[in-house]
Amino acid sequence: MFNKGKLNALKKKFGAALLRADMPGDRRLFLYVEPSALKEICGYIFNVLDARYVTSIGVDDRPFSGSFMVVHDFAFDRDHMLCSILVHIPADNPKVDSITDIVPAANWAEREMRDLVGIEPVGHKYPKRLVLPDGWPDNVYPLRKDLRWDHVPEDFDEDREFLFDEPPEGCIVVPFGPFHPTLDEPSHFRLYVEGEMVRGCEYRGFMVHRGIEKLSETVMSYNDINIMAERICGICGCVHSVAYSQAVEAAAAVMLPPRAEYIRTIMLEIERLHSHLLWTGLACHILGFDTMFMQSFRIREPIMNIAEKITGNRKTYGLCIIGGVRWDIPTEIHAEIRQALDKLEAEWRPLVASVSRDKNIQKRTKGVGVADRHAVKNTGLVGPVARAAGVDIDCRRDHPYAAYDRVDFNVITEQGGDVWSRLLVRVREVFESIKIIRQCLEKIEPGPLHADIKDELPVGRLGLSSVEAPRGESHQFVITGENNRPRRWRVRAPTYQNLQGVPMMIKDQQIADMTISLGSIDPCFSCTDRLETIDLKSGVTRAWTKDELQELALKMRA
Amino acid sequence: MDNTVGFTIFGGLANVLMVLLIAPFCQGVLRKVTALIQSRQGPPIRQAYYDLLKLLGKEDIESGNSPVMQRFAVYLSLATVLAISTLIPMGFRAPMNGQGDVILLIYLLTLSGICTLLAGLAAGSTYSILGISRQMMIMIALEPLFVAAIIIGAIHTRSFRLDTVLHGSVYVNPGFPWSGLIMLIVMLLSFQAFVERIPFDISEAETELMEGPLMEYSGPKLAMFKYASMVKLIIYSALFVDMFLPWRLGLAGLLQWPLFWTKIFVLVLLVTLVAATHARYRIDQAIRYFALLLAAALAALVLATFGY
Repeated sequence: MFNKGKLNALKKKFGAALLRADMPGDRRLFLYVEPSALKEICGYIFNVLDARYVTSIGVDDRPFSGSFMVVHDFAFDRDHMLCSILVHIPADNPKVDSITDIVPAANWAEREMRDLVGIEPVGHKYPKRLVLPDGWPDNVYPLRKDLRWDHVPEDFDEDREFLFDEPPEGCIVVPFGPFHPTLDEPSHFRLYVEGEMVRGCEYRGFMVHRGIEKLSETVMSYNDINIMAERICGICGCVHSVAYSQAVEAAAAVMLPPRAEYIRTIMLEIERLHSHLLWTGLACHILGFDTMFMQSFRIREPIMNIAEKITGNRKTYGLCIIGGVRWDIPTEIHAEIRQALDKLEAEWRPLVASVSRDKNIQKRTKGVGVADRHAVKNTGLVGPVARAAGVDIDCRRDHPYAAYDRVDFNVITEQGGDVWSRLLVRVREVFESIKIIRQCLEKIEPGPLHADIKDELPVGRLGLSSVEAPRGESHQFVITGENNRPRRWRVRAPTYQNLQGVPMMIKDQQIADMTISLGSIDPCFSCTDRLETIDLKSGVTRAWTKDELQELALKMRA
Repeated sequence: MDNTVGFTIFGGLANVLMVLLIAPFCQGVLRKVTALIQSRQGPPIRQAYYDLLKLLGKEDIESGNSPVMQRFAVYLSLATVLAISTLIPMGFRAPMNGQGDVILLIYLLTLSGICTLLAGLAAGSTYSILGISRQMMIMIALEPLFVAAIIIGAIHTRSFRLDTVLHGSVYVNPGFPWSGLIMLIVMLLSFQAFVERIPFDISEAETELMEGPLMEYSGPKLAMFKYASMVKLIIYSALFVDMFLPWRLGLAGLLQWPLFWTKIFVLVLLVTLVAATHARYRIDQAIRYFALLLAAALAALVLATFGY
């Protein structure tokens, strides 16, 4: 439970600078503060109260309150509390003190805010473009409310090359990506290499940024967004969809029927199972150990079949709607799920035993890509990367959602902070997931699948939600709005933070360790970039150019 | 049959043809067995032949920094391994015995490695340069191992003749063949590296260097390189069999041939098994490993000079 003492300490220390404190329930806290005290308050919360930095959000709130808004989200994991620090910024001078010198983890989020909403983080050490391409004109901010969702500025030069930093003295540049066999999605690392050693790197990503947040605020409805949120990621889509639904449900105070909570829990764990098995395979493939790659994929297959049985799809389940779920898990297939779990457990156990004894794999992973406790705190690393460094955080236990408060499981931690520890954390989490699904099948109660929502959702409420994705915490922030859609929806995928830790992990390492270090965070660039996929019509083979697709999209909207 | 010109030419040609025919088969077996270990069905064994034919039929694209050197490297690569195959005994005695000795063999083996360097230089991309710098390091560490084995044989037999040295010469000494046995172990432990398979395919490392030196190759040129690499597997297996597993089990003339190829297949299966159960080493780890083997090889060499 959140210690009221902490809030009182804040009040006592900052007094008048704390404008308002809202506590809807005892797990959320919204603190409105003076812009001038923002940096100091964030520093106090981060360093003295030892909160974990989650993300920062820029909001164009001008049509409603006449000002911009900046939100810094923190998590008090031990107190089971998610907290937003909010400031209003005058519309004519959108500037805010950067908190990056106190909270380095805010680096990307503040740059994104600058790119997309046009709020200048004053004092940011590296205010380079992050999300927008270099050919995008200055002073056009896509997430401002006065810009149409399909607006393309006249002077947008999409072929402009990126401006890169100068490599340090004595280093050659090895371009890693945008296309590389171990990157499944476009992303670009410019490695500064001296001999075989990596001395530094520059990252350019967001090459498939499709602006789904803008779409959600302008053209979609609450339940449409669920479907889109699921398409943020091909691996952990259900996570994003659940996180979004929960944020809206929290904002609008919608209560879920228990059966829906259990079903969400089961599907989230099925997703974790398939994702961890997939990761183990891919990590081994990166190391050249293809036999393990093939075996994990074979073992993973029954899990995919179960997902298909329940939802009709191997992936992208279409499970969530606001206030509940779409699919039931009927009692007839419980036995089948149990059987699949037993088989998985029986096959996974010997595999884990042989991998954890394998000197060959240990040689390639021990002491490689190290991120220690200090780095986890400063870069805001989450999920298995944090747990492998001995930082005991897991949203399932710390910020319980769905039915996680009614099941019993262990949070797996290791101490090494290297790739090997991450491997151990993930392979052992598989057993915990199996345990959770078994308990859910045991405890699931009969009842409706979704809440009956009769009224319009209330307007202008804030909602926060954190869901433990296989890769770490997926955090989402929602401000409810008019026309059956949110005013602002912000997704912070786990890779958004973990990717910021990669440059530090690969520094002064062999270039051969680059791929497995990057692989060890289980990177998901589409999550980070928030991609929207467009399926081609089946049957006739036809190559669509990008412009044609854009035209098609416009036609379909009209 | 005597050391006639006829035997030299026909024997040499026979070896080349045999190697060209059997190498893709071994590759097919390797892929099939790998698939079985990985719970996959795997391609049919003849797939390796189809792949070569398919690649040979594709458009020949000139790319990379220096297309001429690229083409030259690939021809040289295949030519070198085929030239080696005329020198070594494959079930029969070496056809070109009078025309070369073991020093020539060592040169040719080095040359085949140099072809990969040329190929990487011709591609000229950062990844291929990284690949060849790794290849160079591996060559420098590996070549002495093989040379040590040959010199031990030469010391024991007091000859540089191919057929003498390439016939279990490492075991030929009056007492217990200590040096030969040490070399047998050293060569077994480094065999994956000679044939450039996991865990020592470091210079090509698909998931790190995107095939390194080969990255600019496609179509017929890639087919040649693949062919050369398949032949290399046979060549090194044959050298290993000749030097370390020479026993003829008292079989008569013609039966020597199937016996020899059975030994080769056993080696290929061993290579497959090791490749399927290991992860790739990093270059520094590999070099440290080779350094240990090199120390053992030098010890064996010293033992050999003292007649052990």
